[in-house]
Amino acid sequence: MTDGGACSVCDSLARARSGDASAFTELVQRHQRTVYSLALRMLADAHLAEDIAQEVFIRLHRKLTLVQSDTHLLFWLRQVTTRLAIDRLRREPRHELLPLREDPGIAAESADGDPLLQRHLRALIAQLPPPARAVVLLRYQEDMDPADIAAVLEMPVNTVKSHLKRSLASLREKLDGTPGMAAAAERR
Amino acid sequence: MSADLEKQLRAALRAVEPPAGFAARVSARTQHGRWRRGWLPMQQRWVPTALAASVLAALLLGYGWQTHRERQGLQARQQLIEALRVTGQKLDLAYRGVQEASRPSDDTGA
Repeated sequence: MTDGGACSVCDSLARARSGDASAFTELVQRHQRTVYSLALRMLADAHLAEDIAQEVFIRLHRKLTLVQSDTHLLFWLRQVTTRLAIDRLRREPRHELLPLREDPGIAAESADGDPLLQRHLRALIAQLPPPARAVVLLRYQEDMDPADIAAVLEMPVNTVKSHLKRSLASLREKLDGTPGMAAAAERR
Repeated sequence: MSADLEKQLRAALRAVEPPAGFAARVSARTQHGRWRRGWLPMQQRWVPTALAASVLAALLLGYGWQTHRERQGLQARQQLIEALRVTGQKLDLAYRGVQEASRPSDDTGA
């Protein structure tokens, strides 16, 4: 992000804090992709994801005065989103085991990959235990390093690293056990 | 394979946009919440509390006054009953006195 962009964010944050509704909408538009995607990949349900994402921004609106900067805002949004999603999964564990069929809203195939493999990977990630799933999402969707993930999820860095290691091993094992998928992964 | 799997994960987990109108729906909810929370300015938030306290105090005073009046009524009734009882006794005594005075004495005819 450029300095001008960062200043624009700071400005939106300051104006939103002073009660400017349009500035708050700007903040929502700026971060909705991150929040919604995290919720969607955690819950694997487009309706639940929208519910959680809305709840995150409603909470942000109430706590705006506590947010000190855009970096803090992003940290806060990621933390609250993962926490709410994990809480929801604990309350309604039926979402933990998902069929391999994918909700159309979850799909976001990129042009540079194998759509079938990507869909399969998302389905496998959705079967990871919620904390491990959150670690994988923050690592590969948000491109965060283990120390930052540890801060967001309030867990030791070694636990984050161990979740990552075990999750990758599990994903690799399941991919290897699926005919065609290992070969597809190798080809890429 | 590990680097490749990580690359595939990044591609599979590319962020997606929420459904159209998401920000508008969030704004509508925050506006609704603000209306509900902000129906009175912060400086006047004590008004409903003071009103409720006044109504409660008035009810308690009214109840106390009513109880006091009932107690006074009961006392007055007991006093009236006592007065009537004493008056009855006095009248009875007077009646007996009159009766005895008007009865002819036994030794006059003997």
